Amino acid sequence: MIRFEQVTKRFPDGTVAVSNLDLDIDTGRITVLVGASGCGKTTTLRMINRMIEPTGGRILIDGKDVQDSDPPTLRRQIGYVIQQAGLFPHRTVARNIATVPLLLGWSRKKAKARALELLELVGLPAEHANRYPHQLSGGQQQRVGVARALAADPPVLLMDEPFSAVDPVVRAALQDELLALQTHLRKTIVFVTHDIDEAIRLGDKVGVFRPGGGLVQYDTPERLLAAPKDAYVDDFLGTDRGLRRLSTVSAAALTPSDGPAVTEHTPVDRARQLATQHDSEWLLVCDPHTHPLGWAKAADLPGTGDVSGAAVTPVGRVFRLDADSMRGALDSAIMSPAGLAVAVDADGRLVGTVPLATIHASTP
Amino acid sequence: MNWPWVLDHLGYFGDLLLEHLSMAVPPVLYGLLIALPLGVACARWPRLYGVVLAATSALYALPSLALFIFMLDFTGLTITTVIAPLTVYTLSVLVRNVVDGLRGVPESVRQSAVAMGFGAVRRLLQIELPIALPVVIAGLRVATVSNISLVSVGALIGFGGLGKLFTDGLQRAFLTPILVGIVLTVVLALVADTLLVLTQRLLTPWSRR
Repeated sequence: MIRFEQVTKRFPDGTVAVSNLDLDIDTGRITVLVGASGCGKTTTLRMINRMIEPTGGRILIDGKDVQDSDPPTLRRQIGYVIQQAGLFPHRTVARNIATVPLLLGWSRKKAKARALELLELVGLPAEHANRYPHQLSGGQQQRVGVARALAADPPVLLMDEPFSAVDPVVRAALQDELLALQTHLRKTIVFVTHDIDEAIRLGDKVGVFRPGGGLVQYDTPERLLAAPKDAYVDDFLGTDRGLRRLSTVSAAALTPSDGPAVTEHTPVDRARQLATQHDSEWLLVCDPHTHPLGWAKAADLPGTGDVSGAAVTPVGRVFRLDADSMRGALDSAIMSPAGLAVAVDADGRLVGTVPLATIHASTP
Repeated sequence: MNWPWVLDHLGYFGDLLLEHLSMAVPPVLYGLLIALPLGVACARWPRLYGVVLAATSALYALPSLALFIFMLDFTGLTITTVIAPLTVYTLSVLVRNVVDGLRGVPESVRQSAVAMGFGAVRRLLQIELPIALPVVIAGLRVATVSNISLVSVGALIGFGGLGKLFTDGLQRAFLTPILVGIVLTVVLALVADTLLVLTQRLLTPWSRR
């Protein structure tokens, strides 16, 4: 655990970046520090590896005061990923990744082998090993930056707005990769960003900083969205806080009902009867194995025969009770012309439907 | 153009060429040796850089001939009389390039070197100076070519390498040595410059884009 005890940083010009900060950062978790620029989040991060020295209080990593290690030694045990990657332009990708192992005195051979291993871990082809950084795209450079930070297998990883310089699509991919890496690496990651979406997406815990006000709220994303501590946090979470929050709540709380479900072989009379019974203008048509196919309008059914003759609007999106969030259920309901979310099981078979109003009512 | 005279004096030209090089090359090396630590210090302490910049600019503005004559009082008729002023010129050019090169190291690169656990000296030698190298070599090219041309002026005080061909031609109103002197000086400058470009290619394969 990384513990901040009454940590203060006053710069020589008198500005106080961090004031009496108390903060416990959990081992093996992603902790995101988020806030507008000038709120002290980067200063907080950089005090962990002594790139900035606090003027008051102390910082402990697993009970050990960081002031007891000399800075280069301390830093070689803490991975660091910087904005724009900060790769060494005069060194190849492999040599960049091998930086800390070589500083720690590993043999060249071992360091090189480790570099190749990490290149694969971050999803870059081995032939990139001998390229120079400027020959890579921004996203690839950032992956190398992550690989370089992980090279000596440090227990702690500091990430300073690492994905802010790449475009949104690449950023989302890098975020996914980080989460995937973290599921088996279990590093203690401290991640600084000004992007609240990124914070909610990545953080096991999120600390919201306010310019001049320090840490305002430190909570899980769920708690943060459900109960913002004050108007500042509420405002920072944005107007679509409710929507974001749905992503953090499991859909398991919903109880689907049978709904106006028919198969292609249901006679039209029976189908019309079901629509009336469920007070629905639409019927959910399934195949014989109860996989939902789409929606058919009851009023447009043929006069005789079965449902297979009807025009069917494909089901836009289905959701799973055990795997999706309320957000998934909401999307399913919104995309259905009937306003009904379609719940399926792991095999894609119909479990039931949930009306939009029920989803709204089920969100705490 | 008196070709028979040219062919008669090939050995002499060779001697002059070597003498020319012996005065043009050492100042570049000495200048570099002084400019590197001075430039590093200037990059770190901007105030020092202000003083050094003013001093080197003033020295650079002095006419070379005046400096040669001034040096005669101290170093007499030795090769040092030419080498010392040229070292000062080289230094004036190179200090700026060393400082510019170091300032050109991206802040994110510097920060990440600190964060990886490089100490100050190691960071300078392994990260900052190598990245500054292309700019430093650009300065070396300017200084080298300019030295090769300035050495000739030394002929007026008796040391001039190929410059002797100019004084000789002038005194005897004989055009051929002057032309030979010009051609050899230009060729020498081009060869030296090419060697430096090749050196850079070799040392900084990463900077080719």
